Amino acid sequence: MKNKSLFLILLMAMGTNLFAQNLEINGYVRSYLGVLTNDTNDYSINQNTLDLKLKRTDDNVSFFANPFIYQTPNQDVTLGLREAYMDVYFDNMDLRIGKQQIIWGKADGMFITDIVSPKDLGEFLLRDFDEIRTGITSLKANYYLGDNTVEMVWIPTFTPTIMPDETSIWSRIPEFPLPITIDESQKEIPGRLENSEGFIKFSGMSSLLDYEIMAGSMWDDDPNLHVSPIIEQGNPQPLGLTLTPKHHQLTLVGGSFSSELGGFILRGEGAYYMGKQFSALNPDQLNLPTSLLEKDYAHYLIGTDFSIGTTRFSTQFIQRAILDYDDLIVQDELDNTMTFLANRTFLQETLTLQLFGYFGLNNEDALIRPSVTYDLADGFEILAGANIFVKNEDSENTGQFGYYDDNDMIYVKMKYSF
Amino acid sequence: MKILKSILTIFMLISGMTFAQDLSGLDVIQKVYDRPTGNDMTGNLIMTIENSRGNQRVREIKQFVKSVKNGEKKIMFFLSPADVKNTSFMTWSYDDASKSDDQWIYLPALKKVKRISSDSKGDYFMGSDFTYDDLGDRHPMDDTHTILREEVLNGKETIVIESVPKDEEYMYARTVTWVIKDSWIGLKKEFYDEDDDLLKILTVEQEKSFGDVIILTKVKMHNMQKNQFTIMEFSDVQIDKGIQNNKFSERMMKRGI
Repeated sequence: MKNKSLFLILLMAMGTNLFAQNLEINGYVRSYLGVLTNDTNDYSINQNTLDLKLKRTDDNVSFFANPFIYQTPNQDVTLGLREAYMDVYFDNMDLRIGKQQIIWGKADGMFITDIVSPKDLGEFLLRDFDEIRTGITSLKANYYLGDNTVEMVWIPTFTPTIMPDETSIWSRIPEFPLPITIDESQKEIPGRLENSEGFIKFSGMSSLLDYEIMAGSMWDDDPNLHVSPIIEQGNPQPLGLTLTPKHHQLTLVGGSFSSELGGFILRGEGAYYMGKQFSALNPDQLNLPTSLLEKDYAHYLIGTDFSIGTTRFSTQFIQRAILDYDDLIVQDELDNTMTFLANRTFLQETLTLQLFGYFGLNNEDALIRPSVTYDLADGFEILAGANIFVKNEDSENTGQFGYYDDNDMIYVKMKYSF
Repeated sequence: MKILKSILTIFMLISGMTFAQDLSGLDVIQKVYDRPTGNDMTGNLIMTIENSRGNQRVREIKQFVKSVKNGEKKIMFFLSPADVKNTSFMTWSYDDASKSDDQWIYLPALKKVKRISSDSKGDYFMGSDFTYDDLGDRHPMDDTHTILREEVLNGKETIVIESVPKDEEYMYARTVTWVIKDSWIGLKKEFYDEDDDLLKILTVEQEKSFGDVIILTKVKMHNMQKNQFTIMEFSDVQIDKGIQNNKFSERMMKRGI
């Protein structure tokens, strides 16, 4: 609480003191209410947000901070700092130091080469784009050669994906036939130089093609569950299981491109991941997923954006392929997903209708997100929508979207930007 | 002296008539297209959009334009309203009429520069009554031009040109432009929809000279069918200040002004 108070005082002091020093202050206030459409009609979310963007630019340096406050009735206020960094500009180079979101790749809503900033999955994939990524404390250097850029990122301390609370409707703990104990003792990656992450990207922009080529040495943002049986002496049958989440190192190379062909924007993105640990069944232990097998995998997509009349469409096909596949691996050898977006505006762009969907082709599940947005005035919008999770009742697995079949919801957001 | 003046006036009238008669519709539109615009230009654009109920919305943009070999580069930074602030839009257009523009948009919420299709030129720019195509320099060879008549408009002698697109799928069936004879400024332009009904009227309300460069500093597009209009006003216009080529890059789209 003391920290929160200090934070507020600091924020207010900055607001008053720096006003006189050409500090730009922008941001938004938002009220967000979501209701589950199942029998409970529970609120899936009831949240007020203040999001501030503070920026000051001098000749060759600038400062940016993005503090935010989430307030939920009858709960503690959540304060956070999405980004806080300094920029230094040179003729052909920029340096950015501090907590920052780094976004790579050409895909929409998918994370193939866009893996530098970890994700906040506290609300699965439903948060706005700028809220689903977390900032990471890092040093980023960009060197410019005409329309080409070399970008290097050094992340001294690993930050994992933020997972939903165990009590959240978005929590997903694997089901086991035995009682489980969770051991989080190995979840943290100690902050030391050898544990830092590094990424490099070479990108270019031209009339014909935009492209990115990247490589990285990183920790897997999502921990693997090391499952070990609890065995009592003299009793060969396990009494329970200990789950030990642990992050492993990964190496990847990848790239992406975007080009226009006859009015169609073609986009592609792919990455080859080395050293991924996959959960596998263990025939010696009741066929439980107590093993981990290290395999390489490829993750790639092809997509297109186009318009028919004044309606914009976008679609992507995504595949993840595990190489040198072993039948004991829990995940499918090939995992196929599609995305679809249709968007149209009316009334001088004050009314927007949108339909977005993820479709899991392996398990025939989906997340469908229709929405309507109306601009009541400049910077003041009201958005109403639905999140519909579809499960194939006949499928053996629910799939990543079908798992939340009970979480269908309708919601409304009012947002004032200033 | 009086006689000399009269002779000169007659000579000028005759030469003017001959001048106009010698020019084809294409020649006139080509002169409008070739009118000097300077090597580069910066300015602040305020766009006021008013709907049929009289409700107004205002957008502010900082714009940089530069002529380059084989074409032109333009970058726009959106300053207001707050929900689009820091969005930027870049276009590379080409003298070769057969080559499409290249366009990119930077959305600060996505923190990503996205290539967008130049095929969507019929879309309206930021909810205004201007399409992206209206804001660009349409190449004279894209249309067939015919001189309809000469007419005095707002006290200025103009040549009235009808332009019919060669592409039958183009968003307008035809346009009619009033071109001022000596300055080759399009003073007024009518846009007709696919049913050949009058859709919009563009009028120049203010212009300003910067040496031999004339900039239209206030224009109004009135949608006659929806009874709504958009006014674009340029201020702080600067010509030939030597904008660097690297202004028109992904780096600047992300960094802002």
